[in-house]
Amino acid sequence: MAQTGTANNTGSATAPGRLAPWKIACGAIMVYVIYGSFFVAGGAEGFRVGGDGARAIFFHVPAAILSSVLYFAGMWYAAVFLFGKKQNDMEADAKSGICMELGALFCLLATITGSIFAGIQWGVFWNWDPRETSIIVMLLLYAAYLILRGAMAGKPAARARLSAVYALIALVPAQYLIWAVPRLLEGNHPTNTLRDPAMTSLGYKLVLYPSFLAFAMLTVWLFQLRFRAYRLAASREETL
Amino acid sequence: MDQAEVNAEVTGLTARNSDAEARRICIRFREVTHRFGPRSVLENISAEVHTGQVGIITGSNGSGKSTLLRVAAGLLTPMAGEVEIQVDGRTLCPDDRRSAIGLVAPDLTLYRELTGAENLSFFARLRGIDPTREMLIEALTEVGLRGRGRDMVSGYSSGMRQRLKYAFAMLGRPPILMLDEPTANLDVEGIAMVERVVAIQKARPDGGIVLVATNEPRETAWGIPLIQLEATR
Amino acid sequence: MSGNTAANSSVNNAGISVGNQAAVKAANWLPQAIALYKKDILAETRTRVAINSVGLFAFASLFLLTLATRGLGEVQSIRILSLPLHGITLADVEKAQIPAWTGPSKLGLLWVLLCFAAFAGLAHGFVHEEEAGTGTALRLTMNPQAVYVGKLSFNLTLLSLIAVLVTPFYMGLTGMHAGAWPAFLVVMLGGCLGLGSTATIIAVLASKARGSGALFGAIGLPIIVVFLMLLLNAANTLYNAEATTMRMVQDFGGLMSFGVLLISVSAFTFKFVWEE
Repeated sequence: MAQTGTANNTGSATAPGRLAPWKIACGAIMVYVIYGSFFVAGGAEGFRVGGDGARAIFFHVPAAILSSVLYFAGMWYAAVFLFGKKQNDMEADAKSGICMELGALFCLLATITGSIFAGIQWGVFWNWDPRETSIIVMLLLYAAYLILRGAMAGKPAARARLSAVYALIALVPAQYLIWAVPRLLEGNHPTNTLRDPAMTSLGYKLVLYPSFLAFAMLTVWLFQLRFRAYRLAASREETL
Repeated sequence: MDQAEVNAEVTGLTARNSDAEARRICIRFREVTHRFGPRSVLENISAEVHTGQVGIITGSNGSGKSTLLRVAAGLLTPMAGEVEIQVDGRTLCPDDRRSAIGLVAPDLTLYRELTGAENLSFFARLRGIDPTREMLIEALTEVGLRGRGRDMVSGYSSGMRQRLKYAFAMLGRPPILMLDEPTANLDVEGIAMVERVVAIQKARPDGGIVLVATNEPRETAWGIPLIQLEATR
Repeated sequence: MSGNTAANSSVNNAGISVGNQAAVKAANWLPQAIALYKKDILAETRTRVAINSVGLFAFASLFLLTLATRGLGEVQSIRILSLPLHGITLADVEKAQIPAWTGPSKLGLLWVLLCFAAFAGLAHGFVHEEEAGTGTALRLTMNPQAVYVGKLSFNLTLLSLIAVLVTPFYMGLTGMHAGAWPAFLVVMLGGCLGLGSTATIIAVLASKARGSGALFGAIGLPIIVVFLMLLLNAANTLYNAEATTMRMVQDFGGLMSFGVLLISVSAFTFKFVWEE
């Protein structure tokens, strides 16, 4: 019974060994973004290294945005697990966990790329400006969530409840990061990079928007893979 | 899946009256399934107990007797199925259910840093009863702890603690008593006390039910065999 | 066996009274919460585990803190060399001249101290119930909401008590001023509310997970970091003589709202952690 359920719900109708067209498209767009970040977009004025420093944003900004979107997605599934009609909806818990894992990954990538950019642009790798502070706290929240999940391995039902509650509790500090932290650290932060005229030029738009798309597609792909892995593990456990 | 039927042998309900007035309180196990990790502890347990009955749950060590009792007491939500408690055809909500059940179990502990009387008066307040001195003395006398109410529970022997658990379980005279290893640590006098409690509970004019999880032959004779659990693997 | 059952059935018909209805009526949650609060106070006066660990931690770190900050009274020298080469403004230089050991940073450090002290002892309330096995008896008799309210009240009482004891010593040792007293009390109250509510919900999470001690710190820290940012923000406004009323309302309100929001979210989610 478990086996038929798995086969029905693997998502795409592709035969094993063949990639769905959208996955091929995702790869193609990613290749274009890497090419475009060097050859379509020009160097931006006001940025160091002949404006080349600005090229980091094609990877940094989508990763940073995805990390917060994934947090809210993970929280949504946590709420579905706790308050949804279905009792003991372990799939909602798995989805919540996967969103948090991927979110942590993108958060880490955004922190690293951001730090490299800051080092090149402002000469310091870490400056505690509002965005940097927020992302560090975000990273801590993700880490705490994953530590909690790790500590509960072997007790799936309790792990699901506890991590869902933690995800919802962490919403309180997370929403303060949006409005309170920029106020708290006002005066310290460097110029708002995204309002730089160079950022709004056509060349940048032609790379940045496809980059958002490619990152989003990649996230969906990773999510599906992780969820399929979870289902396989769950069905294996059932038949044991 | 059919094997589950074998696991839970449901008996003892054949002699039940079919008319509605007799069953005023009813504990209904509905396909209760629970597992810890990949290991299945309970598989599709179904059974019913009614007013005036003493339902006995038996099974070897590790077969899930205590787990099943925890599920029945509302302390553990099973992965599938449910245990429904009805009074006069009305299903109890969690809050009402809590005050309808008295439980004695090995993993239930009372406060060691409080005296016996303080424990009882605290739990009486939780049950919405104003604990008077007379009431506490009566409760302690009933379980043979008269005169020990001012002593700290940390100074009690294991048998005295077991007796105090009975006083705790009977606070507010709940219509349902659930006993896990009912005579653990008790002396002859204590066992007689438990048998008296069970006899009074099932004969209550306002209706009472007892659920007992045990393997002692003497205790299984108290009532009807309700569920027999078998250790899975 | 069947004869036994038949006998039982005959007992069933004996009496249908109203007594049974009274027995299955649930107790109200507020008296339950008050009973739990009183029980915790009584047990605490006997064992003094929580107050001793929080208090000892608070006073020990207070001592260490004053020892480490003795030299911070003077105005800091200008360290232009450490500033980045480009874009130094007059404001930057002025900022470097402001003494670092001012009112806001003193108040901030007091709360860092109180946070760690709270984390050393406030987990005890839930961890003890779970370890001693008394949690089962509470789950069997209490409404989960009542457990939350009772435990939160106890933690808030304990924390306020520690704050009341430690703050005068801290003020004496570091020379921290209260600023405007009503505003100072509001900040302290908001701090107790935020820290107490964080510690309570994190404590119940940790008590249900393995290795509760280490986990309590790890999962509580990110939340405490944000709480401390809000507190520092309020502290800056408290000691800023030019702060407008609007700004005070915003910043003190921001600090208060942290505790209030966390308590509301906790009240909704508590039973999922508490029950099994």
